[in-house]
Amino acid sequence: MSADSTAPASNEIAERIRTYIEGKLPGAQGLQLQDMERIAVGWSHETWLFDAHWSVAGEQRTQGFCLRRDPGNALLRELSDLGDQFGVLQCLEPTALQAPKPFWYEADHAVLGAPFIVMEKVPGTCPNPWGREGRAFYEAAAGRGVLPASFTDTLATLHNIDWRQAGLDFLGVPAAGTPEFALGEVRKWRRLIDASGHGPEPVLTDLICWLEANAPRTERLCFVHGAYRTGNLLIDDDRISAVLDWELQTIGDPMYDVAYVLSDLNREGSELLSNLVPRDEFYRRYEAATGIEIDEDACRYYQLLYAMRSAAFWMSASGLYAEGRSDDIRLARTAWSVPVVLERAARDLGF
Amino acid sequence: MTPSDLLERMAATFKGEVGPAIEADYPRTQAFLSAVVLQKLAAQLRLAEAHGEAEAVERQALRRDLESMLREIEAPQTLRDAFLALAENGDDGLCRFIEALYGAREELGAAHFEALLGRVRQTMRRTLDRRMEYAS
Repeated sequence: MSADSTAPASNEIAERIRTYIEGKLPGAQGLQLQDMERIAVGWSHETWLFDAHWSVAGEQRTQGFCLRRDPGNALLRELSDLGDQFGVLQCLEPTALQAPKPFWYEADHAVLGAPFIVMEKVPGTCPNPWGREGRAFYEAAAGRGVLPASFTDTLATLHNIDWRQAGLDFLGVPAAGTPEFALGEVRKWRRLIDASGHGPEPVLTDLICWLEANAPRTERLCFVHGAYRTGNLLIDDDRISAVLDWELQTIGDPMYDVAYVLSDLNREGSELLSNLVPRDEFYRRYEAATGIEIDEDACRYYQLLYAMRSAAFWMSASGLYAEGRSDDIRLARTAWSVPVVLERAARDLGF
Repeated sequence: MTPSDLLERMAATFKGEVGPAIEADYPRTQAFLSAVVLQKLAAQLRLAEAHGEAEAVERQALRRDLESMLREIEAPQTLRDAFLALAENGDDGLCRFIEALYGAREELGAAHFEALLGRVRQTMRRTLDRRMEYAS
């Protein structure tokens, strides 16, 4: 999530959240929520941050919480389920990966009008890599050298997770040694395109057909984040304090994440990967920490898959506005992002 | 004043007067983005007629060239059917032709497949270049 502005939560929602949290804390007395803010983040779920103070048998307790609610009309709504996100965070809790500790998943719409999850508020900030201030932050951090290493090490930690032991196989496991993973991703994003209501796009059809015809075999299956980049990582004292945005994770090819890191989609004009890491350093450190050799052919394939994802994303976004399901003019603007990503894909396809 | 000029003027108003007058972050951003959307619409509208004419000429040339290429080779019926539908179905027809082309890849052989796809891509590139005139 890319936090750049905040708005106060409504009193009614704040009180409903307070009542809910109180009900989840046995013996809690005098529970109060402080510093509640709704963060205007990303494009998907609504997020609130707050601190809770209460007492149990006279002993004072304090806990920072993060609540994510499914607004029902968000981008990636069809691809991302809060129940699954909660399950993933539960699986990750005993692993070495930095991720927020999950507390509760509430499917009952009666509580807040939509399903939501409550998790730990992790210390740190999440500078927006698309903004001037964010780019300056990452540029300075790159110079200090600690954050680039943490960025790479955290991805290696994620890919080194024993996902079967962690219970993450509930996400579905593609057959190793086959192109099932890549083809599954193409199908997944095609569903979003079909649901967007966008008109036919011949370049996109060419791209999808190419992706289906050239899907690589996945030899080694890993737990994959699906959108690993600055802006989706919380940073505290120049280190990754939590990996965020658990919406697109899957069991699949680790090159899927690596390709996203290598992509110039995430480093507006910077030589540094994700505006942060020198390419050679990323290769050396990642390969040493995982024992996985970076497969550049596979990465090139996945970068074209990311072009398809981008097109699907913008089609879905502009569709939400066109259908009157959102009043956010940011979404209307994205209608013109579709030809831009398709033009880029065409160049990558060689025309 | 043409419709596109009107949209340009509205964009300038949103950018120069409405946006700066709004204090709160979210509505101010919405005002500035409205200006961007109006500018894009104005450019698209201004170019629409010329682009439409160029597109029609390109598509006609594409159909003529594909017909000639298909006449010279043995192509599966599904591809020939998709070609026949090209004239009437616009972008949807072109998508179906591309799908049929990939579906016939093995039967066609690499050289014929690449030649046919290359010709389609030539047209798609020109369309993209035109769209980029207002989208980028």
